Amino acid sequence: MTNRVSRRRFCQLAAGSLVMAPGLVRAFGQPVAGKLTAREVVRRIREKTGITWRTPTADEFKVGDPDAPITGITTTFMSTFDVLRRSVAQGNNFVISHEPTFWSSNDMISEIKDDPLYQEKIKYIEDHKLVVWRFHDHWHARRPDGIFAGWNRTMGWDNYTIPGTTFMAHEYAIPEIHLVDLAGELQDKLNLKSLRIVGDPELKVKRVGNAGHYIGQCMALLPRVDVLMVFECREWEAAEYVRDAIASGEKKGLLQMSHEGGEEMGMDECARWLSTFVNEVPIKFIPSGDPFWLGA
Amino acid sequence: MTGQDLMERIQKNVGVPWQSQRTDGDADGIYLGKPETVVTGIATSYAATVEVMRRAVASGKNTIICREAPFYSRGERAPIGYRNAPAPPKEVIENDPVCRFKKDFISQNNLLIVHLVDNWDARTTNGQVSGLAHSLGWEQYSANKAGEYPAAFGFFQPPQTSLGALVRSVSEKLKIRGTRVIGDASSPVRSVALSPGLLLVARAEQILRTQPVDVVIAGDAVEWEAGPYFQDLVNAKKAKGLVLLGNEASEEPGCGQMATWLKTFITEVPVDWIPAGEPFWTLRSERGAQ
Repeated sequence: MTNRVSRRRFCQLAAGSLVMAPGLVRAFGQPVAGKLTAREVVRRIREKTGITWRTPTADEFKVGDPDAPITGITTTFMSTFDVLRRSVAQGNNFVISHEPTFWSSNDMISEIKDDPLYQEKIKYIEDHKLVVWRFHDHWHARRPDGIFAGWNRTMGWDNYTIPGTTFMAHEYAIPEIHLVDLAGELQDKLNLKSLRIVGDPELKVKRVGNAGHYIGQCMALLPRVDVLMVFECREWEAAEYVRDAIASGEKKGLLQMSHEGGEEMGMDECARWLSTFVNEVPIKFIPSGDPFWLGA
Repeated sequence: MTGQDLMERIQKNVGVPWQSQRTDGDADGIYLGKPETVVTGIATSYAATVEVMRRAVASGKNTIICREAPFYSRGERAPIGYRNAPAPPKEVIENDPVCRFKKDFISQNNLLIVHLVDNWDARTTNGQVSGLAHSLGWEQYSANKAGEYPAAFGFFQPPQTSLGALVRSVSEKLKIRGTRVIGDASSPVRSVALSPGLLLVARAEQILRTQPVDVVIAGDAVEWEAGPYFQDLVNAKKAKGLVLLGNEASEEPGCGQMATWLKTFITEVPVDWIPAGEPFWTLRSERGAQ
């Protein structure tokens, strides 16, 4: 124990003096981490969200030892293999991911345990002593919803939010803009690579609704807005609905983004928020990014 | 021939035991309209969109056979579990202006909307795979030279190309703009699986277990399931990429195949495929290269 403390103190000193050689500092083990564990970070998160913790919840440790000292925190939307590798390169061994690591809503391992890809990913995680914790339900449940706080900040749309709108049914009153130009603004600000659009490019837009994922949300919002935004929405829902609305004579439009486009800036917000009560280790938002490029 | 007669005729010719119900959503059959309605002509399509219905009526057809339900939800039909919205409550559908417009159009024109998915997909040759292969002109590249497609996916070996060139070629053939791709455009591609519709991880695993192809071409994917699964496959160098044509674009050619099949036993009324068409445009298709 004493040995570990002195070793840690040595590393802290080393970290202070070897600013030009972060790789070398990391080679010594945990540089300035002290005893901070993933479990302690999650304890603080639970306290700071200020809401009652739900059970069951997706927000659990998915893999790794929550009681091991952490070297740095990555927040990300999707803990893809690429994001894990970039975390390791960054020296962060604790990954806080909004979405699953193993490609199902509850990270169901039983169905994929024989999959060679699963085996390779889990081996990488174990070899690099990574800890992955999911932060989905409660980041949404916090007020303001952390995901949409980040999205609004990135878009600069905080002042356009119509008060009283609800979870996954945000309405915005924006300065009038043509649909095609609004699409361009979203593409630029959210770094979208696969935005798909329904409606007249010259449609004049003043009201925009964030309809999230589902047709029920689309039906609730469309009568009140000019344009719906959806992400991670089945294509037989929003796109078919909006094109029929247009064919029925309504002046409407749809912006269909990747899942990341709709939500990943919320994990940038999460990194910012974490740094207000975690200061022992570096914290970095690593975007998983729009996974798609348009081929046509 | 009434709607009822049409359904009996289809059941007799489908070649598999007829599945008339499912516990998790809409079964095959007459979805809207009266079974005693006399069929004046048949349009097959991905969905009975307002435009598809208008074109059917304009060409004297009152019957539309489609894959998707007219009110934008598959109900509880699998895959569910946050991938698929529960069907909106009945009163929401009844009061929604778009649904009302559609319902009125259907009753004013005395239309029959027929849902035909499960039994069509269960046929010994999968019409959705063969339809997509046909639209791409890929029958000659099929791993199954007999031209049979027994599964919901099929294997193909087109002339060696790059992922970027493959995507351009299939997008041009299907006349679509919103093809989405995971993978490096310069990666060489030798083997491809076609898997129309929504690609789930279990299906992707099944495809790759059967034959480790470079690329899977599908309709769409859940973006916390098969989407990142392919990102990870590509990252781990276990596959070259995933190409998503769009759900409509991937399923529509199979509806053309369905029209061809219906014509083999329905001769008294016209039968035509009326594609719903890709719903999307992109900034690149609108403004040119971005």
